[in-house]
Amino acid sequence: MRAGIDMRHITLTLMRDDLPRASLVLAELEAFAPDERPLLESELPEIPGTAFRARMRRAWGHLDRLASVLGELPDTAPDKPRALLSREQLIEIDRWLAEAWQHCSPCEDGLHRLEDEFRDLRHLEQSLNDFADLDVDLSRLQGGKGLLDIRIGSIPADNLDRLSEVLALSQHLILNVSGEGEALRIVIAGTQQTAEILDRVLLAAAYQALTIPESFDDNPDALRAELQTRRSDLEQQCAQWRSRMAGWLKLNGEQLRQAKQLLEAAEPYVHLHGAARSRGSLAALQGWIPGSRLDAVESALQKNLSQPFLLQSRSPRSDEMHLVPVPVKTRGILKPFSLLVQQYGVPRFGEFDPTILFAVTFAGMFGMMFGDVGHGAVIVITGILLRRRLHSFTYLFALAGASAMLFGWLYGSVFGVEHWLHPLWIAPMSDPIYMLTVALGWGVAFLTLGSAIAIVNRLLSGDQAGAFFGPGGVLPLILYFALLGGLVNLAQGNDFPIVATAVIAITLTILIAHQWHSSDAPYGERIMITIIETYEIINGYATSSLSFLRVAAFSLNHVALSLAVFTLADTMDTVGHWIVIVLGNLFVIVLEGFIVAIQTLRLEYYEGFSRYFYGDGKPFKPLRVGRTQTY
Amino acid sequence: MRRFTDQAYVRTRLAIMGTKLLSREEFAKLVAMSLDELSAASRFDTISGESNAARLITFERTLMQTWLDELSALLRPLKGSARRLLTHWASRYEVLNIKALVRGKIGQLPNEEIEKTLFRLPGFLSLNHDQLLNTDNVVELLRQLQKTPYQRLATQALRRYEERPDPFLLDATLDQQFYGELIDRAHHLSGTDRAEILALIGRIVDGHNLVWSLRYRYNYGLQASEVLYLAIDGGRALDRSRLQEMLHADTLAEALGHLPDGVPGHGEMPRQIPLIEATMRNELFAYATRAMRHSPSALTSVLSYLVLRYSGINQLYTIVHARVYGLSDELLHEALDPLHEEAA
Repeated sequence: MRAGIDMRHITLTLMRDDLPRASLVLAELEAFAPDERPLLESELPEIPGTAFRARMRRAWGHLDRLASVLGELPDTAPDKPRALLSREQLIEIDRWLAEAWQHCSPCEDGLHRLEDEFRDLRHLEQSLNDFADLDVDLSRLQGGKGLLDIRIGSIPADNLDRLSEVLALSQHLILNVSGEGEALRIVIAGTQQTAEILDRVLLAAAYQALTIPESFDDNPDALRAELQTRRSDLEQQCAQWRSRMAGWLKLNGEQLRQAKQLLEAAEPYVHLHGAARSRGSLAALQGWIPGSRLDAVESALQKNLSQPFLLQSRSPRSDEMHLVPVPVKTRGILKPFSLLVQQYGVPRFGEFDPTILFAVTFAGMFGMMFGDVGHGAVIVITGILLRRRLHSFTYLFALAGASAMLFGWLYGSVFGVEHWLHPLWIAPMSDPIYMLTVALGWGVAFLTLGSAIAIVNRLLSGDQAGAFFGPGGVLPLILYFALLGGLVNLAQGNDFPIVATAVIAITLTILIAHQWHSSDAPYGERIMITIIETYEIINGYATSSLSFLRVAAFSLNHVALSLAVFTLADTMDTVGHWIVIVLGNLFVIVLEGFIVAIQTLRLEYYEGFSRYFYGDGKPFKPLRVGRTQTY
Repeated sequence: MRRFTDQAYVRTRLAIMGTKLLSREEFAKLVAMSLDELSAASRFDTISGESNAARLITFERTLMQTWLDELSALLRPLKGSARRLLTHWASRYEVLNIKALVRGKIGQLPNEEIEKTLFRLPGFLSLNHDQLLNTDNVVELLRQLQKTPYQRLATQALRRYEERPDPFLLDATLDQQFYGELIDRAHHLSGTDRAEILALIGRIVDGHNLVWSLRYRYNYGLQASEVLYLAIDGGRALDRSRLQEMLHADTLAEALGHLPDGVPGHGEMPRQIPLIEATMRNELFAYATRAMRHSPSALTSVLSYLVLRYSGINQLYTIVHARVYGLSDELLHEALDPLHEEAA
């Protein structure tokens, strides 16, 4: 239950020549996370592979750019044994990729140029349509006549307001705006005197002038045909560039694929960074490995390394607990719950891993709020039918549905009908107060368990003050029980017990004193912090306990909704009755099921995790083959 | 940020974090220290590396990380528009990276050189610098940038650069886009938060507009209309018509004579642009210090703190950097406080 408890720190001492091979072996096993602390700096001052790493970056840079022009590059063959990339091979690959890019980059430029030309052509066509209905000779206006300066063109839509404001200051006006989206077509008018100033402003505004063809006024059909010819010509040029690229890829695809495969195989070595150190021909590698994988790692190294090596392992020291990466569960029935836990955070090393508790309590609370044999069965069947889409979340559907079915039996409810089954426990509507009391009791138990886990977690991480005085710690828990005991007595018609009063007074005093001493802020701030923090502790327990009333409220809500469906159905004829029954049940399953799932998750995150789960651990990210991380 | 507990959380965190802001006297003490004392005080001595240059890079990264950790802590209770505004403010440092990349590409510097000037930001803010570095020229760089969340900013910059490849025009475009988006996000806030945050951002924009407009007009010789177009919207005392009044003057001194009343330092503004910049910065910091303590908007207090804290971190880095490379006291004082030096 304690996260990552079998993690070991290893130091692998080996010959420097074997380092790339060792990193590839470790990456293939996916069992090793590098530790980049300079622990071995004094004995092994060098970080190997610095020049290699720089060359790899360049090579990947060329390859990425080629991919952006050529599209998806041919995939590497996964089953083929991976060859190691030597320094000489890398230089050769880098050189070849640079040449390939030199060959392909004109295509990229050409395609971008064509894109721009297409855009201009589109603007021209749209502008001509805009002005076609106006009784104005645009070609005569273009460039202006005499004292008048007229411009027709387009600007990015974002710039319109600013340009309008500035043009007004320089005796120019925007006469007409058309178009929508990112670019707008505009007509600007002003005096020739300030034309030069206008030119500079328009440059800053990314204005693009529109050239009106002379044939626009006298022969519009000829112009349309001319524009169509231009469009076809551009499309042809595009096709030519693309075919040139496809031809190049056909000739060089295999070499490109091999280059990519070799670069990917060298990635683990490159990603070691400071985790590998060397001096002369000796090198060492350090990092974290799950203890259960240690034997497999050792035997794989023995099988693959040509020269002797020494693998030493030890448990994490107390000063490095916060650095130990924690593997997260990604398989089996717990996978969806583990993913939901990770949404909140990753457990610290040695911290209580809440995944199992989360799975059990999630299913329990969902079932209690949504108890119905029929509706639960529909959820299970839906999960199974959608398993290809839901992947691991099929388990969550199955578990939640099964729990709803179980509680359905306890409540005696099938598709909202309460007389087909005799309740094994209670029909919620028969005694709402009892249901609310049970929910409150469950909340108290849940919060107590959460506090107990929080105390243990804090003690394990050396935070003794937090374990005793922090939210959910020993003292707040005693205070909570005293308050609870007193209130139960009051509810039963008795006086608030003197013992409870004394315990509350003592614990509150200690908590206030602790808050005061642990703050080094100025007096005013200190008073505020003490009041707020103490208030938060009491208020936190009170609101959290009441929060669990929703568990009972939703079980009552479920019955009430079903009743509403039946009442509505009873007002219909036979066909209408069954339509309302089916649609009503669907409505209950989808809408209420969704709301209940969210409410359960909320209770888990806010009332559970926030109490006992640090969630600030480092996830175990093993070295992997291929390009999985950036430099 | 409406909930009382959220406000209380932010105020409490700010009260504690505020103690980390160093006063002028505390900075003076740091400047007076020997390198060993300074290294211990700034924790530079805990950083190992192959060379001083490498240690300084790690030190800068550590300081930046501290700032980002504090930002993350302050972001925690914020939701919606308030959160989006602060996240956008943090992306300012990625905009500075983009400017450094553009300048590097224009100057045809080696990638390693350009990389040294970049801030290392966390994943949610950071671009893939490798991809941007591995470009042949500014146009290709901006096209790569169009494939990132900075697409809008890159598209504008690309269009302008293709029309006229001026680096300062690109800088201005990037700033315009950044502040435009920031002000847009500020307008999505409600009530006190909006008014208070716009007052703070307005002062930042005023400082930026004044300094850069004067630079463009009187150092680079741009036309007034062009400078006006490049100015950022959303200033507090310096709107476009006020700027126009100033920029029609033939000289810098005359222009300063038209400074509106609302601009800090009005009437006593120095005549050199770096000193004007320092004056505006000092006024902004004085305002941010007040806003951090007394603004009714907790969000404005947070942004004020972030502005002040970043400046403090920058100054600390400047002092350590200067001491490590043995820069003279005179140069260091001038870099830290040009106004004080000028007066002396």
